[in-house]
Amino acid sequence: MTSLNHEHRALLLHAALDGELDAAGALEMERMLAADQELAAEYARLKALRNAIGAHAVRHEAPAALRARALAMIEAPETSPREIRMRKWDRPSWRSFAAAIAATIVATLGLDRLIVAAGAPDAATQAIVSAHMRAQISGQPVDVASSDRHTVKPWLAGKLPMATGVVDLAGSGFPLLGGRIDIVAGAGAPTLVYKRREHLISVTEPRANIGDYHATPQRRTLEGYSVVLWSDADRAYEAVSDLAPAELDSFVAAFRQAMARERGDAAAPESAK
Amino acid sequence: MTSETTRRRFKELVLPHLDDAYSLARWLAGATDAEDIVQDACLRALKALDSSAPVERPRAWMLAIVRNTAYTWLAKNRPSAIVLAGDAEEAQAHVSALETGTSPSPEAALIEAADHARVAAAIEELSLPFKEVLVMREVNGLSYREISEATGIPIGTVMSRLARGRTQLIAKLGASP
Repeated sequence: MTSLNHEHRALLLHAALDGELDAAGALEMERMLAADQELAAEYARLKALRNAIGAHAVRHEAPAALRARALAMIEAPETSPREIRMRKWDRPSWRSFAAAIAATIVATLGLDRLIVAAGAPDAATQAIVSAHMRAQISGQPVDVASSDRHTVKPWLAGKLPMATGVVDLAGSGFPLLGGRIDIVAGAGAPTLVYKRREHLISVTEPRANIGDYHATPQRRTLEGYSVVLWSDADRAYEAVSDLAPAELDSFVAAFRQAMARERGDAAAPESAK
Repeated sequence: MTSETTRRRFKELVLPHLDDAYSLARWLAGATDAEDIVQDACLRALKALDSSAPVERPRAWMLAIVRNTAYTWLAKNRPSAIVLAGDAEEAQAHVSALETGTSPSPEAALIEAADHARVAAAIEELSLPFKEVLVMREVNGLSYREISEATGIPIGTVMSRLARGRTQLIAKLGASP
């Protein structure tokens, strides 16, 4: 038997195992297996391998957080928050999810903060999360790309009627990517973009009723993203990311510390209470 | 900015294959990075769906995106893991190793008795060209045609790589533990 024949036969054997032979090919293979003990033994080994792989090589289920982020990619930014919330509840996957999110919020924040969070500024947060999602999907998260805060700060100052503090957090593991301007409640709001591994973090400073924000950061979950809201020195901030909540918390802590240093007040953010 | 049509197509064409996408990414690049890779792949898929080009076999299409994203990621972060050049010839040359009788062939029962850790380790050790076709076939359950579409390699090469990969696994699992 030529080696070409051998090769052909070997491939046919695998095709038979994979159900890729048509009726004529399957019939031919049956005849060959009956006539050739070696071939039949190889076929038995292949079947054993298939069983071993089937028993042990797992088809993993995508983690819930990943599924949530994939879903978040297609939530309509132009739809009103109320509509999104209603549509979400229609979907079975969201029902189980919402329970998990609620449980997480209660477990991590405690009930007192949950009550505070319920009164926090909904519309602004929705706009800020939408802007973050849009930035992520478009692949252009920044209008001005620079890791140098002395480039980002004057750029923002030239576009907006307010001075924006810009800090670089590369030392804490959150390098500055640049800045952009989001529209929140009909007004331009400066947004700084930072990076952690492949994850983006947007920090927006909305011109909002400062009374809605608290010196103690509140964490919420919207569209699968973590959002942290807080106020410092009469400015409101909202940070959005798909990072793990604990990592976003450490980002917020680093951001507030650096910002306090930049403002020149030596006081720790906590003393602002 | 994402149109209603694109959103609907994303739900129909991408979301149902998220488990397959995640499984493939895990096998190709490891558990730590699989989530990031699939998330990135979803963004790429979403972008691709903005054009109205029809998608005939969504699972193969999605897995092709996951595969490419994983390789981009590996090339950037673990260049040593990428071994692609010249593999088609190599696979072709080794199919003859399938000839039985040249070396003592392990018992089918011994192969089937391999435990979880050994099966996983044996698959891990395959080089990427063999691993990807094997995982697409055995874990994702793709047909030869779908594997060919997802990897961009001809069906004949898919078949010989699959045969070669399985031969390596049989040799590993058949050796006494």
